Amino acid sequence: MLELHAAQFPFLSLILIACVIGLILVLLLPEDQKSVIKWVSAASGFVTLLLSIYVFAAYDKTLSGFQFVEQIDWIPALGITYLNGVDGFSVPLLLLTGLVYFTGVLTMWELETRVKEFFALFIMLVTGVFGMFMALDLFFIFIWYDVSLFPMYLLIIVWGSTRREYAAMKLMLYLLFGSALILPGLIYLVAESGLGTFSLPMLANMAEFTPFQQKLAFLLFFIGFGILAGVWPFHTWSPVGHVAAPTAVSMLHAGVLMKIGAFGILRVGIFLCPEGWQFWAPLMGFLATIGIIYGALAGLRQTDLKYVIGYSSVSHMGIVVLGLATVSVDGMNGAVFQMFAHGVMTALFFSSVGYIYDRTHTKAIADLGGLARQMPVASGYFVVAALTGIGVPCLASFWAELMVFIAAFKVYPVYGVVAVSALVVSALFILRVVQHAIFGPANEKFADLPDVSFGLGIPRMILVAAIVIFGLMPFLMYDTIQTSAMFLISGLP
Amino acid sequence: MIVFVPELYTLIAAGVFFALSLASDNARRDFRLAFILSAVGLVLCVVWVGSRGILFAGTYQVDAFSQVFKCLLYMGFFLVVCLCERLDGVEARRHSEFYLLITLCTLALMLLVSCVHLLPLYIALELSSYSLYILVYLRKGYEKGIESAIKYFIIGATASAVMLFGFALLYGTGQSGYLIDLMQELPTRMNEPVVLIGFILSLSGFFFKLALFPFHFWAPDAYEGAPHQVAAYMATVSKAAAIAVLLRLISLSGGSEQLAWFLIVLSIASMTIGNLAAVVQKDLKRLLAFSSVAHAGYVMIGILSMNALGISSAVFYALSLMIMKFVCFMVVVKASNNGGNISISDLAGLHQRAPMLALALMLALFGLAGIPPTIGFTAKLLVFTAAMKTGLLWLVLVAMVNVVISLYYYLLVIKAAYFTKASGDAAPINVSASLQVLAVGLILVMILGGIYPHHLIELAQTAASSIGY
Repeated sequence: MLELHAAQFPFLSLILIACVIGLILVLLLPEDQKSVIKWVSAASGFVTLLLSIYVFAAYDKTLSGFQFVEQIDWIPALGITYLNGVDGFSVPLLLLTGLVYFTGVLTMWELETRVKEFFALFIMLVTGVFGMFMALDLFFIFIWYDVSLFPMYLLIIVWGSTRREYAAMKLMLYLLFGSALILPGLIYLVAESGLGTFSLPMLANMAEFTPFQQKLAFLLFFIGFGILAGVWPFHTWSPVGHVAAPTAVSMLHAGVLMKIGAFGILRVGIFLCPEGWQFWAPLMGFLATIGIIYGALAGLRQTDLKYVIGYSSVSHMGIVVLGLATVSVDGMNGAVFQMFAHGVMTALFFSSVGYIYDRTHTKAIADLGGLARQMPVASGYFVVAALTGIGVPCLASFWAELMVFIAAFKVYPVYGVVAVSALVVSALFILRVVQHAIFGPANEKFADLPDVSFGLGIPRMILVAAIVIFGLMPFLMYDTIQTSAMFLISGLP
Repeated sequence: MIVFVPELYTLIAAGVFFALSLASDNARRDFRLAFILSAVGLVLCVVWVGSRGILFAGTYQVDAFSQVFKCLLYMGFFLVVCLCERLDGVEARRHSEFYLLITLCTLALMLLVSCVHLLPLYIALELSSYSLYILVYLRKGYEKGIESAIKYFIIGATASAVMLFGFALLYGTGQSGYLIDLMQELPTRMNEPVVLIGFILSLSGFFFKLALFPFHFWAPDAYEGAPHQVAAYMATVSKAAAIAVLLRLISLSGGSEQLAWFLIVLSIASMTIGNLAAVVQKDLKRLLAFSSVAHAGYVMIGILSMNALGISSAVFYALSLMIMKFVCFMVVVKASNNGGNISISDLAGLHQRAPMLALALMLALFGLAGIPPTIGFTAKLLVFTAAMKTGLLWLVLVAMVNVVISLYYYLLVIKAAYFTKASGDAAPINVSASLQVLAVGLILVMILGGIYPHHLIELAQTAASSIGY
């Protein structure tokens, strides 16, 4: 029985309100007030970051069920309520979103073209992401999910680079094909339950779905959300989209949006269709393992810095799905931790590559070289991200990957071995990039370029700090996730 | 007779324009008068929304369903009149005739949603069709206008002949033209071939109005050839009336399975053909026409679900379609030069030439594609929920795949409006202050209908309650 612990004060709605106020202010400001628009966005980002840190800190790690719950009747005719709440799975992701939102705005501080529209769309996207992580009503889950997707099209097509028209269209059609499977799945469960409610806790507690219904619905959710999570073979939109998107959007996209996909599988698929989950878990594990190897091998062949990160995301998101596929406490723990760690790491990756690209106007690894001497600070951030990507101990993703692999070895020994060996390949391709782009002979063309200033360094420092803090004190994250994961697993038939 | 006031008022308004057509030409005066008359009519309809009654020997029923639809129709009529400030597509000396015909057509559609007897139903349908045949023909200086008007007329005449045959078969079955008598007789006899065929044929006239496959061939040509305002009218007001009558007629069958299967086939064909054909269109109005064909398919899903939610979902769909399609045509009217047709590429740089219109267009197109948080999403959610209650998961999946296809061409339009730069000679778009306000209002309605549709859904449910299973 999932319990709902009501909020004393609507902190979750406050996060959304901070975003919406930011959005409205940006829309009302005149086009030429560029710096005011940036300050407003940053302020909104800062408030949400503080609030999400507060929620993370105040979350009671001993209670299962949902906390900070807010409930208002919304559309009684259809049984739709405005129902927000967080559990151990969503608290880390709220924190992640706050981090990436704030640092994303700071990263785009130098933007000069169509500033107002950019930040309006950016904030809209973030609002959708926040909403998705806290919503407990299927109607709102779907609304927020799509709200976070459709700004992507304009963000990529207007401010993007390499092959942006193709990338934006491909990304949009893929992701909306995903929601074309999710929506029928949601309505199917609501209609079959006969309870006349869209409330997820109520459906999870009271509805008795037959195994067939669960298998069918879970498959719809797995493919639908899996497309956004970059599950092989539905991942092809992802590297192309990452490369084409402007820096902050890549950060948000790889850092947070892809997590929405994995989170959707968890929140909707696993919560509502546990038997479907157990039934399809071997398939999930299989696809995830292929994704891990495929991403690593494809990354090895790339010549474009952003493509390398794009493929590493496919590989790392495979680890998340592999964790979910193990149907175990450790696996869930690792999967959610990996979502957080990978989010922060990719944000840092894209943030530092974005800086390098803005200065050198190239993302081709062959054209760069020896940046460590010309831009030591920028290179430093890149190297930290690279080390996190490889999974160096004492950095956040090490613990996450460790947990997933331990769980995978127990449940799927073959996949576990294969996935771990893929880690070696991924270490190889990331180090190859570091070697060619950061070290090696310097390219004289870039000798006069300025290094990251202190102001522009702030967002990167925050991200590095998050990586190190959770790398040194992984228990902060584990304890949060643990209760929810144990509760979920113990409730399985 | 007091319940008949909105219709009488509309008749008088038509009379006013008839008198004006005899007087000297004055486009300004005609527009102002039309604006005021349609606004007053809208208010009258809203005031009369609660009236109930039965008139004319039981052939004319004023109930919640008909009154809600009359408000919708008048709202659409009023919105279309708002676009007539510069009626470039019609010769100046014909402006009063234009308003006369469009008012008459609205009157006919108002009668249509209230008729509960086959004979007045047919007469009202013909009255509205004749007005539209002439309105399509009114296009100034466009050679293909006549061709499209004739095409429209011939297909319309065929559909109505087929429908009349269907009516005859129904009359033969029930020995009565009253829908209430047919409602007693038909549900038990739906498996008799003659009844089923008669029923399906009777629907054809309304399939024609709704541009449902296989009666959709007129739509792209008529939209392209008609003056923009008339195309807007056909895409909004006349669709809503068609949905209303289809709901009333199909509820007579009492939920027949054979009929449902027939409608499922039409619905799938309609949305697939509409969407695939829309993908390759260059002309914006043709694209909107094919998207109308596709939407006829979606709304059919609600109608064929044959449950209470299905009816209210179709009512809601009619409302949302009206708003979203209207916004698209508002952009067509504003972006076109001297009433000429516009292609998608003519929208280039719209976000700079008219930012509010571009935003409204983007929301309308996302709404047509069913993406939240827009009113179009709520409409699709309701329709699909209704279908799911009847156990049609696979049909919903087919529809959703179609939604993804449709997204492709909507995105192309959005790309033109937001991304492509305007060429140097693109004329700036003058959006008057009142139209700016209208655009903001429509944007708010589209968003609120997506995130807080509670009251609109209740309204749709009230309307649906007076016909039912």
